[in-house]
Amino acid sequence: ERRSSSLQHKSALFACVAGQKQMNSRESWALTPEEYKIWDRLYRIKESDGIKQPVLPRSQFETLGNLEETSKHEEGETHELSLNEWSIWQSCPLPTAMVDHSDYCHHFISVMDMIEQMRHQQGDCSYELELQPHLHLEDVHVPGKKSHHTVAN
Amino acid sequence: RLRAALHYAVGGLCQEVEEDKDVRFSKQTIAAITEITFRQCETFAKDLEMFARHAKRSTINTEDVKLLARRSSSLLKYITQKNEELASSNMEQKEKKKKKSSAAKAERTPGEREAAVAENEDSNLE
Repeated sequence: ERRSSSLQHKSALFACVAGQKQMNSRESWALTPEEYKIWDRLYRIKESDGIKQPVLPRSQFETLGNLEETSKHEEGETHELSLNEWSIWQSCPLPTAMVDHSDYCHHFISVMDMIEQMRHQQGDCSYELELQPHLHLEDVHVPGKKSHHTVAN
Repeated sequence: RLRAALHYAVGGLCQEVEEDKDVRFSKQTIAAITEITFRQCETFAKDLEMFARHAKRSTINTEDVKLLARRSSSLLKYITQKNEELASSNMEQKEKKKKKSSAAKAERTPGEREAAVAENEDSNLE
């Protein structure tokens, strides 16, 4: 119910913005007092809303030192948006509006689909069996065999 | 054939991690990592090509590789450091044998090697 009322007021906000542009009073980047009132009333998350602030997960590199600042929000105070909670929905393309799926996105979908196919395989892996005949040892770095370009680590 | 070579390499790296972290990867996990890496190479190759073209170059250089890592400061720092190490070791080698400047070409950063692998992708696809 909150959502539908938001939508109604959204058009009010746009009207307000458009009107102010006409009045040529929208010079600064910040919200005007009127816009601030609308934002505060309709969109701003307050304690009384009983929902947590949404935050995005911070990227971390397991194998590298971490330079990124650690999250200042305390666990439990915020709702960390999950990118894997709905993984079983990710093996086919989801609808789009104006922006098509990128190649990168299609790669992701294909791999999720592949994982889904392999989920119930036990022991031998079909992917491995399919590739094995194509392995040429000259393409790879064989441990123990001296090669002039060692894997940089 | 490229996938098979990559699968082998990924298997080797996973084995190192297994020993290091005392965990086991299923064959399916290694297969999935291989496929992700293979497809990531395509993304890298396309990006590198566009970055070089954006700088009006047709040759991809280490600056383009650094751009791939621009979103993570820790990754960017790592790549930049590796690049500097390679650059200085290349300089030393050049001092030693000035006549062979082509030797530097064989010494590539991990990112560049991946890119080189990816560039061959189209012609070698099974």
